[in-house]
Parts: sequence; structure tokens; C-alpha cells
Amino acid sequence: MLDFAIPVLETQRLILRGPEAEDYPDFKATFASYRSRFMGGPLNEYEAWMLYAAEIGHWNIRGYGMWMIHDRETDETLGMAGGWFPAKWPEREIAWIIWPDKAGHGYALEATHAARNYFYNQCGWEGAVSYIDPKNLDSIRLAERLGAQKDKEAATIDGSDAVYRHPSPDSLTGSQLEHGIEMEIAHYADPLFKPKGWAID
Amino acid sequence: MTLPAIPRIETDRLVLCAPVLNDLPAVTAFFASEQSHWVGGPKDALGASQTLNATIGHWVTRGFGMWYVTDKLTNAWLGCVGFMFAPGWDEPELGWSVSQNAQGQGIAFEATQAARAYGAKHLNLDGVISYINPANTRSLRLAKRLEATYERATELLGTPCQVHRHPTLQEAA
Repeated sequence: MLDFAIPVLETQRLILRGPEAEDYPDFKATFASYRSRFMGGPLNEYEAWMLYAAEIGHWNIRGYGMWMIHDRETDETLGMAGGWFPAKWPEREIAWIIWPDKAGHGYALEATHAARNYFYNQCGWEGAVSYIDPKNLDSIRLAERLGAQKDKEAATIDGSDAVYRHPSPDSLTGSQLEHGIEMEIAHYADPLFKPKGWAID
Repeated sequence: MTLPAIPRIETDRLVLCAPVLNDLPAVTAFFASEQSHWVGGPKDALGASQTLNATIGHWVTRGFGMWYVTDKLTNAWLGCVGFMFAPGWDEPELGWSVSQNAQGQGIAFEATQAARAYGAKHLNLDGVISYINPANTRSLRLAKRLEATYERATELLGTPCQVHRHPTLQEAA
């Protein structure tokens, strides 16, 4: 029953692949650090290893899960993004984490946009949420750039998280929001407005 | 990447197989019970589901792992058995645990014998150890019945425990 291939997603700068054993050290480094404080961390070595194993098993149990985000050119890992739905989660979540030294380049936006499109277009999802710690301002800002809106009525995981509801496939496809997301990603990939050969004075 | 197939093993009364989503209620009940205290429990529903997922991921990252033990006739979840090798472990361990309603029927013995033989023949895991909490008299008895021998006292994830060494396939023959 298990022979199941995790799909590979390609974007302008990134390749999203299933988590492999060899990618574990990068995951462990981030989950041992303060960076993981909004994702249940920091974790000790045993906890981090078991969580990584659980990330892989999630693919098998649910048919979707978290991809490892790779730089297209160097193949190094940058973080993870994808779908997450363990027990106690009221709804399917779209989640992301970027390694601390890879933040600020729009990787989470690019990866999450691709993952969400995959879930909407290939898996038939009619929507999704992101559960975000109210103190995690970077992730809240990303959720808003992705067009997600705070849903105060929706069930939370344990009352300490805010629910951000992603736009439905219908309201996203071909929308100004979608064009905006793609334009922002394009600008990260090729910063049009960065002055080139500007006079130094 | 492709996830590997977890082998299926049949014994007289049992099937050792890969975890599936349908096992989750039984696994959640197990981790809420006292039986789970020997194997990292108690855990809440989230912890139980993460453990189920990690059981599959362990096979992917290590090439071996734990099976879920089910009743051949009723398909009921009875426990788990197999090999565990996570940070903190000195070497791969043969572990077992069964739910309360499956105790006292030789199920752990039957499942562990099958897993041990499979490991020795197919997974290059022969003469393995089991970590046993000295207060876990049931498991100590089972280790003896399996002809594992006491090797040393140690700690696993901060808990004192004993290392028992299983006979190799050749020694057991």
C-alpha cells in the first residue's frame, strides 16, 4: 500500500520535493533553535528526529504533506512548506517555515503559493487555513500577502492560535490578488526596481 | 521521492503491517492508557497521531521500523512491534507493546518472535537489544521467554533501563 511518490513542484527559483533523510540536519538545526518557537519548538534531538519522521509519514497517511524547499540552482534546502493535518487540527492547514538564515527573500511566499495552487488545482481542496501564533508577525504578514484573512469565528487548535483563512480557489484564480502575488515573487526573483549602475553621490 | 513498502508479516493469529489512518482511534486510546507509560506515553490525540506518522517515517529514513500488530480475523489493532533507532539509542532496538485487552494471550511473544526473525533474515538486524524499564515486569518476563539475556544497566531518554540482548538467528536455531 505504501509505494507512493511525493510530487515534485517547480517554481521560478525553487524545487519542492518530499523530505529526505539527507535533509534532516538542516531541519534539526532550525528546530533546535529559537526560530521554531511558533512551531512547537525548540525541540531536543529525539523530538526533532521524531517530528521529521512524522512529517514524512504524514504524506503517506494523508496523501499530502510538507515539502522540503530547495534552491533550484544550488539544491540547498531553504525551509518547508505544504499541507499539515494531524489529529486535533480542525481543518487542513497550509504551513511554512524558512530556515533563519534564509529569511527575507520571498521563498516562503513562492513555495506556499505553489503548494496552495497544487492543493487547489490537483487535490480539489476548496480552501484551507493557517494556524498562526498571534506573536508571529512575519507569518501573519505572509498569510496576508497570500490573501488569507483572520477568521475570528473559526475553531482554533487550542485557543492560543489565530486562524487565517485562505481565499477559495474560485476567488483566487485570475484575481488581482493572484497577479499581485506573482508580481511580488517575480520582483524577488528579478528585482526590477533595484537601481543598476546608479550614480554614487 | 517514493515511500518504501513496509513488509507485511503473517503469523498464526496476527498480521504485522504498516500503520494506516484507520488505526488512529486505537492508537490514541493506547497512548491515553497506562500501557503507554513504558513507551513514552501518555500522549494526547495530537501526540498519538504524530507517533503514528513517525512510525512510517522511521521506515523511510532507516529502512526498518515498527509494525502495527493486528488480529488476523477481526483486523483489530493490538499493539506494535519492531525496530526503533532514534537519537539516544545506542543501536537498533527490538521493541514491543500491546494494548490492555490484548494482554495475557501470548500476542507480544508471537509478534516479537516474528519481527525478530524477519529482522535477522531480511533487515540485517541480528542479535539486537531491547531496552526495558526495570519496573516493567511483564516485558522482563517476555524478554526471558524470548531467551534474551541481561547485558547492562543504562539510561534511555533520561529514564533508567536495562539492556537485554537477543540471541542471533544462529544461536536461537
